[in-house]
Amino acid sequence: MTRKKLLNKLARFFDADRASQRKEIDSILKVTKKLKDKERDLRHKLETTAPGDERAELQGKLDVIEAQRHKALTLIQELRAGRNKD
Amino acid sequence: MIRHITLALLLIALGYGFWLSANFKEIAAGVALFLFGMLSLEQGFKSFTGGTLERILRGSTNRLWKSIGFGVISTTLMQSSTLVSLITISFVSAEMISLAGGIGIIMGANLGTTTGAWLIAGLGLRVDIASYAMPALVFGVVLLLQRGKVTKGLGYLALGVGFLFLGIAYMKSGFDAFQTAFDLSAYAIPGIGGVLVYTAIGMAITIIMQSSHATLLVIITALSAGQITYENALALAIGANLGSAVTSALGGMSANLGGKRLAIAHVVFNLLTATVAIVLIQQMSWAVDHLSAQIGIAEDDVLLKLALFHTLFNLLGVLLLAPFTRPLERFLVRAVRFEPKPMEQPRYLYPGALETPATAINALRKEVGHLYDNAYELIAMGLSLRPALIDSDQSLSEAVKMTRRIIPLDVDDVYERKIKSLHSEIIDFISEIQGRGLEEPAARQLYTLQQASRDIVEAVKGMKHLHKNLSRHGVSPNPVVREPYDAIRLTIARLLREIQQIRSQDPETVTSLSLDSLKLSSETSSQKFISELNRLVRARRLPARIATSMMNDESYTFEIGQNLIEAAQALLEPSSPRDQAIESKLALDEDDLQRLVDSTPEPN
Repeated sequence: MTRKKLLNKLARFFDADRASQRKEIDSILKVTKKLKDKERDLRHKLETTAPGDERAELQGKLDVIEAQRHKALTLIQELRAGRNKD
Repeated sequence: MIRHITLALLLIALGYGFWLSANFKEIAAGVALFLFGMLSLEQGFKSFTGGTLERILRGSTNRLWKSIGFGVISTTLMQSSTLVSLITISFVSAEMISLAGGIGIIMGANLGTTTGAWLIAGLGLRVDIASYAMPALVFGVVLLLQRGKVTKGLGYLALGVGFLFLGIAYMKSGFDAFQTAFDLSAYAIPGIGGVLVYTAIGMAITIIMQSSHATLLVIITALSAGQITYENALALAIGANLGSAVTSALGGMSANLGGKRLAIAHVVFNLLTATVAIVLIQQMSWAVDHLSAQIGIAEDDVLLKLALFHTLFNLLGVLLLAPFTRPLERFLVRAVRFEPKPMEQPRYLYPGALETPATAINALRKEVGHLYDNAYELIAMGLSLRPALIDSDQSLSEAVKMTRRIIPLDVDDVYERKIKSLHSEIIDFISEIQGRGLEEPAARQLYTLQQASRDIVEAVKGMKHLHKNLSRHGVSPNPVVREPYDAIRLTIARLLREIQQIRSQDPETVTSLSLDSLKLSSETSSQKFISELNRLVRARRLPARIATSMMNDESYTFEIGQNLIEAAQALLEPSSPRDQAIESKLALDEDDLQRLVDSTPEPN
């Protein structure tokens, strides 16, 4: 292992904030994946549901997921921006 | 199962009897018409029980003589001690009248029911009663076809009288014809053996026909046709009294504590009366002969003498028991007590679970889940929807729309047994854990679960409030009243189903964020409900007084929803503190939800 690589590894090991941010982003991505799966199921249901109360209910759920995914995206961007500043 | 077999055997026996004898067919048809007439009379009187009867009942039971008088008069008018007994049981059960008042009415009803014997013996068999039946039936049907509740009630009364008369006429002609073919009087049993056997027969007939009136009709017509002896007819009448007490006891067993006590008092009264009548049958027979001569009943008029005997021995029972009404009441209150049903026991909280914070939190989470399941069942039943239906794929809106009756539910009792007891155990367990000292984040998880337990209890309390009006208006025939309650039931049922579906999914694929959509739909349903109510009030289709009650109920509905969502959120919380923090950051706050509500298109 070259000296440079070794130093980088050491830097990552001691940079606790950076590691914590990484884990936080992973955690967000995990939740986002669940939301994405749910969104796919709902869209599939929406296609086969006739207009009416049930369809409006499905649309409401999709709107909620969209808002949550938007929040997740903003959070990831903030975390990444914070990491880049360092 | 035994009931089904007995019914099948009875139907086969009747069918065989019809095939064997045309006269038996006529007698049975008479009994059937008579019973149907009594049912119609009951139905008719029920149309008038919306307030007047209850008001009179309440004002007539503050003194024993008034209670007895009320029992006599109401049973004489209605010719149905069953209806009077049922109403009395419901009033005693609801503690609107005292047990002593109820006992007085039952005694009076026993005396009032003897007027039936006088009517049948004095009038029914002496005139062509069928000719009076026909106009009553015609008037009854015409009135029944009208719209008004009172007119319909009068129709039922007229029909009841018509069928009673027709039944008497059929029985009379059946027994007259029967007489030429068979002579049942050949089976007469003299002496005390005969008294006991015929008392048992009278009791059995009354239990089968569920009406002492019908039994008396059979006895009197059989006596008039000479098919039974006068002595055996007296014993049959005693048996009819005992049979009616058994019928009432069977009905009272399904009632609450007050109803059970009253049913036992009825049995005690009739048993005492029957015992005295059997023991003193010779003396009473002599008294009947003596009194008959005094009031002008002919020596050979056994029908009226039987009616007199029936009245006398019931009067004797009243005279014997009336002074002991209060002691009997005290004895029943002492002897017949509420047997508490077992309290729900915790499933996961045991001392071993306190060993480590992780096992304690895990056990607690499961127990709160258990509490949620109990609350889920109670709330579903409170909505008059079976939990199995909510768990299924069936359309909830259809199920709500098709509901024809409110499922009887003692919310307070279930709350005490299945919610409060478990909540107390949870709180006890939490204080045990806290006593051992907990580090963050376990302390926070503990707090969240404690809060969830409280949320569940609050949701159930909301259901307790809501249930009162749901029971009253949930299946109202007036669509303007029923539809808002249907909307309330549907909102909560959908929420329960959604939460159940989310809870049943694999924790690896589900997130508590899914509950945010329920918050949104709860909010939109609430706003839609209120704007619909406002529209109905503006259009003068709904009085503001009722609308405000509905608004209160909507508020309970909203609280139930919020509490259940909060509880489910705690139960679905991820175990890792980082994941918890992320989910709480991504969850929609009030502003986010309001934005989404505002962007939701208005309902048409």
